[in-house]
Amino acid sequence: MVAGELVSQSIVNGILLGGIYAVAALGLSLVFGIMDIVNLAHGHMLMVGAYVAILVFAATGITPLIGMFIAMGLLFLLGIVLQKVLLKHVVGEGLEQPIIVLFGLALILQNIGQLVLGGDARTADLGIPGNGIDLGFAFLSLPRTVTFVVAVVLIAGTWAFLQYTRTGQAIRATAQNRTAARYMGIDTDRIYVITLGIGTALAGAAGALLSMLFPINPFVGWSYLLKAFAVVVLGGVGSILGTLVGGVILGVSENLGALYLGGGYRNVVSLLIFLGVLLLKPEGLFGTGGGGE
Amino acid sequence: MSFLERHPEESLLSNRRLQAVIGVVLLALLAVPFTTTDALTGLILTGLVFVMLGVSWNLLAGYAGQISLGHAAFFGMGAFVAAWLTTPSAAGFPASIQLPILVAVAVGGVAAALIALVIGPIIFRLSGHYFAIGTLALAAVIELVMLDQRGLTGGSTGYYVQGDLAINEFVGHGDVMFLLTLVATVITVAVTYRIVRGAGGLGMKAIHDDEEAASSLGVNPLKYKMYAFVVSSFFAGLAGGLYGHYTLYINPESTLAVTWTIDSLVIVILGGMGTFAGPLLGAALFLLLDTGLAAIVGSVATSIEGALIILFIIFLPQGLYGLAEDYLITDIGGGGAATSPQSEESRPAADAVPDED
Repeated sequence: MVAGELVSQSIVNGILLGGIYAVAALGLSLVFGIMDIVNLAHGHMLMVGAYVAILVFAATGITPLIGMFIAMGLLFLLGIVLQKVLLKHVVGEGLEQPIIVLFGLALILQNIGQLVLGGDARTADLGIPGNGIDLGFAFLSLPRTVTFVVAVVLIAGTWAFLQYTRTGQAIRATAQNRTAARYMGIDTDRIYVITLGIGTALAGAAGALLSMLFPINPFVGWSYLLKAFAVVVLGGVGSILGTLVGGVILGVSENLGALYLGGGYRNVVSLLIFLGVLLLKPEGLFGTGGGGE
Repeated sequence: MSFLERHPEESLLSNRRLQAVIGVVLLALLAVPFTTTDALTGLILTGLVFVMLGVSWNLLAGYAGQISLGHAAFFGMGAFVAAWLTTPSAAGFPASIQLPILVAVAVGGVAAALIALVIGPIIFRLSGHYFAIGTLALAAVIELVMLDQRGLTGGSTGYYVQGDLAINEFVGHGDVMFLLTLVATVITVAVTYRIVRGAGGLGMKAIHDDEEAASSLGVNPLKYKMYAFVVSSFFAGLAGGLYGHYTLYINPESTLAVTWTIDSLVIVILGGMGTFAGPLLGAALFLLLDTGLAAIVGSVATSIEGALIILFIIFLPQGLYGLAEDYLITDIGGGGAATSPQSEESRPAADAVPDED
């Protein structure tokens, strides 16, 4: 039997990790909901973001909390170039072409990651002492807490952007009805460029945050793509609150799975939850539809 | 998907010149183990495995329209089931279940097909993007579980597979495996050809083009998806078993990793998705790329493969086959002339996809 403190500690750590998963998933969900493409390279973009933060930290000692903004900027640019150069040829041309273009991009990013850094796992040091607050039932580690708070701020910021800015409103209008939005004078091509930029920037942010907690290697892309997609399915495409809740559910269930079944099953648990929800309730636990189409 | 409207392969295989080419290629392949070095034999064997993977994935994705990202799972399970049967003691099974390589490899293929038969009705509840990601997740689950089950798989270190098939000093183990793989490849190509030319292929194309319309006309989408999935998985499993028994070594990373899915996809995209000869051309090009590129550009090879599939899918969606058809087959005349006006007609339609939805 597993001790009670271990269980509550796993739950607390899972909640804190879930915030980062939610940031990763939000980027995927935005692009999926608005452009109707699954960014198969999303996990690899997260890996790139993590490496940017790690390299900036190694070269200058700048904390990944600041490096995160550099990663976000670079990935925003990558997203814009990706849409303007490659995806504009294939968006709206059915399922196969965008999926294959992004699959190719994932290959390229993984290969570049290997070339630049080799296959070894690397991690960044937050520069924040590893100690934290003892809550009695669990220990609140400072790095995990800080990354969680940053994650929630990023999610709230994205929400506010979509809610209150003109561009954000145009993005939501495009998501609701692409054709009507175009008739209303919205430049949907520009909206796609911005949406993909924001989506990939969020992947970069999630990567930078994860680099403070876990070792990153060039091959983590597929695994984090599946985690992010699992959160999207749990929370429902296009639901920001759902994404946060989905991230927390995934984080907690992974940690409990690792505790009860062994570390090797951490990812199996999240994948099985994902497949289960996908099959039973494809519109997501908090979804507003759009699933299974 | 208007590229499926053409049936150029009908004219292709009735073309005597092409039949002669096929005959010569087969004879040349038969001679490979006896005339070349072991290294070259192994290389061409890998090419045959690529053909099996490409042809089988193309049946599911190119014809039935189901973009599976889990092909590696069937390749790997075929490899493992075959390895358990030839080398039961390494996986903790009683030695009495040991079977000859030929039978074990066939059972590996059947096992992969059975797995597809069981999970098909569940996974086909998903469609489109969800199917693609669902199959990717499924393959990841299988890989992670197999990696953890050290007793069955040897964990990340894997184990050596028994079965030396050397006949005498002139025909070594690799040569016998080459001939077996050649036979399996011919069977894969022939069976797939019969399917896509027959009623099954028509049903698959119908659900690919418009599942709802096909369904309202009495075509059962699940039936044809399952047909494609089970056959595709069988041949992927067969390829896995053969490959494992050629290398005589097996571990979860070398057989179940997403790499095999990527290879299948790259082969089909390069050659031409949804065309019969596409994966054959694609496998040949991919083999050259996989070995040649690595020698020339070293570790940048994977990036170039990634860039190539992006460029192909955007600018040459019909792959090498489309290119060959444009520049070679229409010029040959004869059998090709009958279909070339039709293909020229459908070409603009393929490009002029309406901008608005």
